[in-house]
Amino acid sequence: MSLMPFAPSRPLSIGVELELQLLSCNDYNLASSAPEILRRVAKRTHPGEIKPEMTRSMIEINTSVQQDYAGLVAELRALRDVVSDAGRFLNVAVAGGGTHPFQHWSEQKISDAPRFHYLSELYGYLAKQFTIFGQHVHLGCPGPDEALHLMHMLSRYIPHFIALSASSPFVQGHDTGFASARLNSVFSFPLSGRAPFVLRWNDFEKFFAKMAGTGVVESMKDFYWDIRPKPEFGTIEVRVCDTPLTVEIAAAIACYIQAMSRYIMVEQRMAPEEDDYLVYTFNRFQACRFGLEGVFIDPRTHQQRSIREDIMEMLEHISDHARELHAVEAMERIREILIVGNGTSWQRRAYASEHNLADVMQLQAELWMGN
Amino acid sequence: MTWSDYLPAWPLQISPALWLALTLVVAVLLGEALVRHLRLPRIVGYIGIGALLGPGGLGLIPQLPVNEWRLVVDLALGILLFELGSKVNLRWLKANPWLAGTSLLEAITTFGAVFSVLVWFDVTSTAAAVVATIAIATSPAIIVRTVTESRAQGQVTDRLLLMTALNTIYAVIFHKLTVAVMHGQAGTSFVHTIFPPLYLLGGSALLAWLFGVTFERIHHHLGQHEETFSFILFGMIAFATIMASTLRLSPILVLLAAGLITRYQRKHTRTFPPHFGSAGAVLVVLMFIANGLAADLRGLQDGFLLVLLLIVVRIIAKLSAVLPLATHSGIGWRQAISLGIALVPMSSVALLLTLDTAIDFPEFAFGLGMVLMSWIVILELAGPILVQVALRRAGETPEKKA
Repeated sequence: MSLMPFAPSRPLSIGVELELQLLSCNDYNLASSAPEILRRVAKRTHPGEIKPEMTRSMIEINTSVQQDYAGLVAELRALRDVVSDAGRFLNVAVAGGGTHPFQHWSEQKISDAPRFHYLSELYGYLAKQFTIFGQHVHLGCPGPDEALHLMHMLSRYIPHFIALSASSPFVQGHDTGFASARLNSVFSFPLSGRAPFVLRWNDFEKFFAKMAGTGVVESMKDFYWDIRPKPEFGTIEVRVCDTPLTVEIAAAIACYIQAMSRYIMVEQRMAPEEDDYLVYTFNRFQACRFGLEGVFIDPRTHQQRSIREDIMEMLEHISDHARELHAVEAMERIREILIVGNGTSWQRRAYASEHNLADVMQLQAELWMGN
Repeated sequence: MTWSDYLPAWPLQISPALWLALTLVVAVLLGEALVRHLRLPRIVGYIGIGALLGPGGLGLIPQLPVNEWRLVVDLALGILLFELGSKVNLRWLKANPWLAGTSLLEAITTFGAVFSVLVWFDVTSTAAAVVATIAIATSPAIIVRTVTESRAQGQVTDRLLLMTALNTIYAVIFHKLTVAVMHGQAGTSFVHTIFPPLYLLGGSALLAWLFGVTFERIHHHLGQHEETFSFILFGMIAFATIMASTLRLSPILVLLAAGLITRYQRKHTRTFPPHFGSAGAVLVVLMFIANGLAADLRGLQDGFLLVLLLIVVRIIAKLSAVLPLATHSGIGWRQAISLGIALVPMSSVALLLTLDTAIDFPEFAFGLGMVLMSWIVILELAGPILVQVALRRAGETPEKKA
């Protein structure tokens, strides 16, 4: 099986996918209510798409292709409201956050679709462990080679995206000490990690053909990379973010990635190097473990600083680009996260005052649903 | 010193409590064996063993003093009713009015169907109305216990709990009203016909409200100490149950309403151990054994056809009320069928209402009362199985581990 040709897309257009948690209003544990929610939202007209996910306590909302923060946040709010209304009708709460703090993976039920059953067969308990909730951001690229260029340049900033969106400190009833424990679940998949260092689309096609030839993969969907090209959309897809606690933060992070991409393509114009990846897993681990306080090592200068400081500097670099993209408000929100903290610090504060993870989840659902 | 100073006198003076303890051991052991062998819900074992070994069956366990048992049954039912109430989110009715519609329709069709069958069998319309009100209630005890045991969760489970709480309330209220009518027909003066249900309903509501207020106060101070709090809660439930009986109010209504009120007021999630701890769980098991011991199938001798017809008609009534509104209220056909079937069990609430009626009207005890008792025994034994199958069919029980 060969790779699809890289479709044309409008450069720097954005699209967001968010995986959401469905919760019982009684104990705020995960509830396998996706089939009923989907049936309910199917009766309503809404922008974008609402889809099932691996297990029945998850649901995914996808925006259509958007150009700027205002459009993106409006569509995300509309999608959030449709899902929240369906939830209220069914006594189901909806929340953001990268993990559910006390669910038992063994109680999750696989969604009824051939692909999910296939994955469940293949990965066994990993599939149920995959009841984690991420944000994926699509970025339109002018062409396939530009897509690969952008993908490798953005890889350097993966820790930014992880630290800003991190909202999964609690797993199976305990504080893991990680800012994003969700990504630890992703790393256990055999095809996770990063894309090979290939800069030309025809080389990438050769790589894919070889992999497909071994029988290991059938489509791009089988790669669980942190960033991967999505040829049928003509985009690259950043997949490291936890689902934030509100749609506004989700939109702001997407626009931060968008403004950074414009900076990379228009202003920076540096060629990626394979050695950039020497510090890749170290930096990524620091972001997962310590969030904004994590250490960031610059692959070129070897300078060390906190991820927060690196984001602060990046915000300076991209401010003009953000203005061009009408994303000034989004950058303000990013700056706010640097000051008040990410979702993980919100969750830890909530736990410190409530002493009960179910109460944290209730507050988290109220924050998401806006009631 | 003589023998009699330190050896017990013969024959032994056995206290009823010893029989109670022994019954618990034997019934749970045998019940467990039965359940493992036939893979049935545990309560079927407890009720079944009670019925098999009790006075109505082989007669191996003697009839125990009524007062001891009544206290156990009242307390256990109080626990289960409060538990049911505290699992039901009344705000849901506002977000989804179709649920309120389904619940009302279900109560009306059940009442109508049972009433018609009885009138067709030449039962007087007042007596038929009393039985029909009792038939409205789904057993809270069986529902709470089976849902807890099967760890079910989902739309059907949530709706089952909600509709059970509501139809139990309708049943008690309308039962008291029809009994009042019965008294009126028996020649009681107007004042004494009207006042009892008003006193009972108003008083029960007041007691439930007081419970809710006190609960909130105590929870505010002690809520974080989950175990300590569940001890206090246990005491409060016992107090409210006994107080309700002392004041001749309805313990059923008080505890159920108290549960609903505390859930409605709550600002924080609460997780209590099932039946508020092991003491509660033991009482619940004893209650089911007691229900089994009280099983009385003599009504089947004369009224077999009537009982059978009533069972069938009631199932059809429940199903046909749930089905037409299913898609509007947001569930599919399969789920609606499961919900309708799961609403079938009858047990303690129906039993207590029947006994209450029998105390006031002895002739009821030997006529329709016997029919009702047999009906309850059958649905008590079949009920848990129906609920378990229905919830499994709806996909709401945990998946089997491969």
